[in-house]
Amino acid sequence: MEWLDTGLQLLVGLRMTILLILAAAPAGVAIGVIVGIARVYGPRPVRVLAFAYQSAFRGIPLVIQLFIIYYVLPRAGLRLDPFPSAVLAFALCSGAYHSEYVRSALLSIPTGQLEGGLALGMRQSVAVRAIILPQALRKAVPGCGNELVYLIKYSSLAYLVTLVDLTGAGRLEAYASFRFFETFLVVGMVYLAMVALARTGLRCIERRWRCGLNERAATRA
Amino acid sequence: MVQTLSTLLSGVGTTLLLLVLALGIGFTLGVPIGILHVYGRRPLRLLLSGYDAVIRGFPAIVLLFLIYFGIGSLPGVRIPSLHAAILALGLRSAAYQGRLVEGTLRMVPMGQLESALAVGMRRTMAIRRIVLPQALRFSLPGLANEYSIVLKDTALAFTVGVIELMSRAKFLAASKREIAQVYLLAAALYWILTQLGLLGFGWLERRARISGLGSGRR
Repeated sequence: MEWLDTGLQLLVGLRMTILLILAAAPAGVAIGVIVGIARVYGPRPVRVLAFAYQSAFRGIPLVIQLFIIYYVLPRAGLRLDPFPSAVLAFALCSGAYHSEYVRSALLSIPTGQLEGGLALGMRQSVAVRAIILPQALRKAVPGCGNELVYLIKYSSLAYLVTLVDLTGAGRLEAYASFRFFETFLVVGMVYLAMVALARTGLRCIERRWRCGLNERAATRA
Repeated sequence: MVQTLSTLLSGVGTTLLLLVLALGIGFTLGVPIGILHVYGRRPLRLLLSGYDAVIRGFPAIVLLFLIYFGIGSLPGVRIPSLHAAILALGLRSAAYQGRLVEGTLRMVPMGQLESALAVGMRRTMAIRRIVLPQALRFSLPGLANEYSIVLKDTALAFTVGVIELMSRAKFLAASKREIAQVYLLAAALYWILTQLGLLGFGWLERRARISGLGSGRR
């Protein structure tokens, strides 16, 4: 019955992985939307700051971001437990990528749309929120969806800050049983299943949100 | 600080080795894979899609563990950690670059292939001489992206004991007091390497540009 126990341990790890993803994914999207908007419509200093954030978090390996948050921040007086550390790192990292998709989606909306809104007497904030954003977010869905899929895989780094997620549980079980190949194959397959599930869900969302929108990109391909 | 930096720098060589070999394997396998995704026979395409789904569905670190601990622990197999890391990163990059090249091959208008066939080229030659050179130019922005992704993934190699930049940082952080300095310096080095690579690809893109040919964004 050894395999049953292994399976159980992996399930416990899977629970942690899912918790991590459920916490980090919405946070990342929220950061991405805010930073994306800031980069396009913010005043100059905000734009520069947003750009620096994107550049830093996209140019540094996630492992190092994770270690800086977990090991270095306590020296600056901010001590976070492993779980919030991991969630923060994942959210900040994926937020940087989301924001780039949001930014390019915002830029792809013709400026006439914004001008039209302003001409009708809307304030810029209202025009952006009511006219630009609903169109742009739709366009950002495929890119951001991809990023969410990456997040599922990135979450495997959580074991590096002592969390026992799916990968961490797999490691422990592999060392205990010396069945390295089988264990990591199963672990990989579970990630694969999660990725497939996420892709299916995202495709549904994409189809649903696109309806009635004349998407040029979709017809060209 | 200077000593920390010089220790970290001594790991950069291995990081670059991992990066270059992984990208090299990825490109050498990825271009044919991309071509087969588009022009291959159906069973072959299905097989490649399977490879693709598995490789891209596994987290990099699980793939690395599977190769180093998993395959490496099978009877009669011995894989040094460096080789395992190169293999894992290379196979991953091949899958991603394959998809990239597939996408850019499809961006080349169909008329290009048809007219090459019409002037009497064989299909393989038309693909190699006419379609591929255009597609590879369109691929450059994607390759730049892949460069930065693979560079960052090399930082996972320390988990199987490869001595590169990240593992140097970890050693230093474990043995010294100034953890903050070590990790921030390591972060800065990775950031610089990322930016240098992106500059390099930008230069390559300008060099390879042919006036009149679209930049790939149409």
